[in-house]
Amino acid sequence: MARPIRLDTVCKEYHTAGTTHVAVDDLSLEIPEGSFTTIVGPSGCGKTTTLRMIAGLETPTSGTIHFGDRDVTEVRPQDRNAAMVFQSIALYPHMTVRENIAYGLKVAGVPKAERDAAVDEAAETLQITEQLDKMPAELSGGQQQRVALGSAFVQDPDVLLLDEPMSDLDAKLKAELRVEVQRLHKEMDATMVYVTHDQTEAMTMSDHVLLLEEGRLAQFAPPGDLFDRPVSQYVAEFIGTPSTNTLPATVEAADDGPTIVGEQFEIPAPEDRFADRIGDSVTVGIRPQYLSPDEGDHRIRVIVNVVEQLGTEFVVHGTSVNGAHVNVVDESVDGAGPDDELSVGFEAADAFVFDEHGETICHGDALVAARSASPSQ
Amino acid sequence: MSAVSTLQGRLAEFDEKRLLLLATFVPFTLFFVLVWGVPIGYALGMSLFSDPTGAAEFAAFANYAGVLTSELFSTALFNSVVYALSSTILSLVLGLGLALVVNREITGGNALRTMMIFPYLLPTLVVIFMWTFLLDPNVGAVNQFLLDYGLVQEPLAFFSSTQWAMPAVVVASVWKYGSFAFFILLARLQAIDPNLYERARVEGASTWQAFRDITVPHLRGAILIIILVRGIWMFNKFDIIYLATRGGPLDATTTLPIMVYELAFRGSPNFGGATALAGIMFMLLAAVAVVYFWVFEPEQEVAN
Amino acid sequence: MLGLGKGPAGKYVSQRTQERVRRVSVILTALLVAIFVSIPVYVMIAIAFQPATTTFRGGTVNLLFDSFTFENFVLLFTDTGTPRYLFNSLIVTASSTLLATALSVAAGYGLTRFEFRGKTMAARAVLFAYMFSPIVLAIPLYVIFFTLGLLDSYFALTLALTGISAPFGIWLMWQYFQTVPIALEESAWIRGASRTRTLWEVVLPVARPGTIATAIFSFSVAWNDFTMARVVMSQDEMYPITVGASLFLDRVTIGWSETMAAAVLMSLPPFAIALFLQNYLLQGFNVGGLE
Repeated sequence: MARPIRLDTVCKEYHTAGTTHVAVDDLSLEIPEGSFTTIVGPSGCGKTTTLRMIAGLETPTSGTIHFGDRDVTEVRPQDRNAAMVFQSIALYPHMTVRENIAYGLKVAGVPKAERDAAVDEAAETLQITEQLDKMPAELSGGQQQRVALGSAFVQDPDVLLLDEPMSDLDAKLKAELRVEVQRLHKEMDATMVYVTHDQTEAMTMSDHVLLLEEGRLAQFAPPGDLFDRPVSQYVAEFIGTPSTNTLPATVEAADDGPTIVGEQFEIPAPEDRFADRIGDSVTVGIRPQYLSPDEGDHRIRVIVNVVEQLGTEFVVHGTSVNGAHVNVVDESVDGAGPDDELSVGFEAADAFVFDEHGETICHGDALVAARSASPSQ
Repeated sequence: MSAVSTLQGRLAEFDEKRLLLLATFVPFTLFFVLVWGVPIGYALGMSLFSDPTGAAEFAAFANYAGVLTSELFSTALFNSVVYALSSTILSLVLGLGLALVVNREITGGNALRTMMIFPYLLPTLVVIFMWTFLLDPNVGAVNQFLLDYGLVQEPLAFFSSTQWAMPAVVVASVWKYGSFAFFILLARLQAIDPNLYERARVEGASTWQAFRDITVPHLRGAILIIILVRGIWMFNKFDIIYLATRGGPLDATTTLPIMVYELAFRGSPNFGGATALAGIMFMLLAAVAVVYFWVFEPEQEVAN
Repeated sequence: MLGLGKGPAGKYVSQRTQERVRRVSVILTALLVAIFVSIPVYVMIAIAFQPATTTFRGGTVNLLFDSFTFENFVLLFTDTGTPRYLFNSLIVTASSTLLATALSVAAGYGLTRFEFRGKTMAARAVLFAYMFSPIVLAIPLYVIFFTLGLLDSYFALTLALTGISAPFGIWLMWQYFQTVPIALEESAWIRGASRTRTLWEVVLPVARPGTIATAIFSFSVAWNDFTMARVVMSQDEMYPITVGASLFLDRVTIGWSETMAAAVLMSLPPFAIALFLQNYLLQGFNVGGLE
């Protein structure tokens, strides 16, 4: 039965040769029961450590972990009713595929006939029936991955943990297995936690995303929220490809209230959040997808460096007048080439504003509200 | 209820982990203490007493002085160095040549490999039987060959002539231990990325240049290790020399290990002298080991 | 067009000649080594399987297999202590192989999987022991066994042999267990298997090639040993074959034919290993070989 996973002020420190390394720092969150949550972040941000603490392979230095009402902080991995798919896949090389999948059931003392039935069913679902009597070494990377998923599937775990299981596969197999993993999630009654450094995987597969920054929680929200309502510049820049453009600006006092003034644009800002920030430096974030040569109230000029064509859309890598790197993604770029000057525009509704510490001051909707409330505009 | 099961789980985990720790470390520690620590400590202790197995009397470093000033010591040290150096260098040269040959994947390379491994596994005694026979002055094939082709007038008694005993022992040793260098060098050669050679060829390097600039640098570490480790082993070798010549004739092949054995078991046993010499060999090895650990850091392979 | 084609073509031919010369010299070297390695082995076999009267007919040595016989082996078993020697060898070799392998596997697992201070020191101690001179160790062991009344016992020789074979075995297993991914164990734990069960059902089966290599090396050390047996065993009926046979040539009644027959017997296990288990051995060479 699926269970919610609750982390309460969890810290994990490693001591090596006199230095202390904090891998996970004061992490508190509740992963909803039966959800598909991805933990994402750059390498070394503590995502695998977090997963391993949920699995019981590491014990938190402080804080508690609950599965539902049960405190599992100190429970050994054998007793958590969890299943895990490892980055290295970790199939037993000396057992056949069938024995590999059935091993957990064998340990649990399930009779052979029942084990075989469960394995056959899992193999059917994952299309590896043909491979059941082979040894892992005879399988392709994708098939090995399916076996690992099958092993987790037959165990009927409360919690299914996946640690970057696809990082070694090529793009086509990844796409195939992404569908497979999502299908498994629908068929299983388990809370699924999936670690990846690939934000595309995180955004497409899961219903919740936990983004970590150096062991601390950066944002925990549904994927759409991370894209549209990032809580910080870090989140805005990490999520989405190409990365969010960041344009330096200052808050200035205009006749009709505070205004965010950049090199080439002026955006009216809401009184309530900007009145006491007059004179501050801020950063305006705008996603490359929201910059367009044809539309937008606020325009900036970009010197084109490189144009890439990705299927139906173009990606322009350019530089703004003040030297900031600017990317544009659009269906047409008017045949712009290197060294051309391109004028692109954006709507205030699509922008984010960050303060000097990278915290979000407001999202585009608040800026739009400010403008419509302003009669002189 | 859940609190109880949690506690049981913790206890089970704790007990099991502790049990495994004990099961793995106790034999290991016990072994090293009993079979290595105690005997070595005991030997070092004995070396400070005169007649340690009889009427022991503390003699400080008298045994050491006695050994170091004996005429045999300098002979044995010299013989050890000659034996270790010549057998190691010869093994290295032959091993390197053959590794380069086999690395080219000639037909029969596998058979050659099997053939090379065999002498290495043969009991030393068997090797000495073979070479004693081959080099025998009356029935040996080598002497018959030399006589037939007029290279010598009289058969040579290799193992019992002061002039030929050492070279004969070295040949037998190289025959037995030469494959060590061969297998290590072959493994290194096969680990070199073939793309490096292809790139060198594309860039216009000749075969010789590719050998000098790619092969040699890749083998340098292995060659140093072979010289060091094989050298130590040959320096410490007892059985092959003892079985071939018992250290003779006239101490021509008496190395330090032979001298230790002779001191302890020949005539009237002198365990004070034997253990003092063992102590000296221990220090020599320790000095080389320090260099080895310092330069190669072999422990990094397991303890990082 | 012709002129352009000539250059590369000419070079191609010269490269081919070069390659041919290289090939011939390579094969020649291989042949020479093969002869150097195999002549002593051939001589041993020829003498062992020919009647002494054929081998030493008319003052010269005849090694051409004019006649084939087992009579040297029969003499060896009826007129010498060989059966007893072989029995002793088997006992101490089997027990020390078992002991050294078990010790190495256990220590290798513990040293790899548990964190502790002084790992570097432990590694150095193992390596130091592995470079040590057996005869230097044999002297104090002799005195200790003498004091304890353990000379001329299988137990003492087994312990001494394990003393010289285990350091390398431990080193080999230490390295080997590092290649066994910890994720295999973790995956078993998460599936509910206890640490002990995981050790039996996952770790040991996966580490089997390393274990076999360790066993082969321990076996070779024990089977080939002369030094330890010479020191620890002083009674004829306790000698292993290496010590027993080493005294053959000193006796008037035993000639080269019986001696080489004994050599053939001693060579059988190494021969079997070289033929059937050499891949495990090569694995051992890659972590530093064996004395």
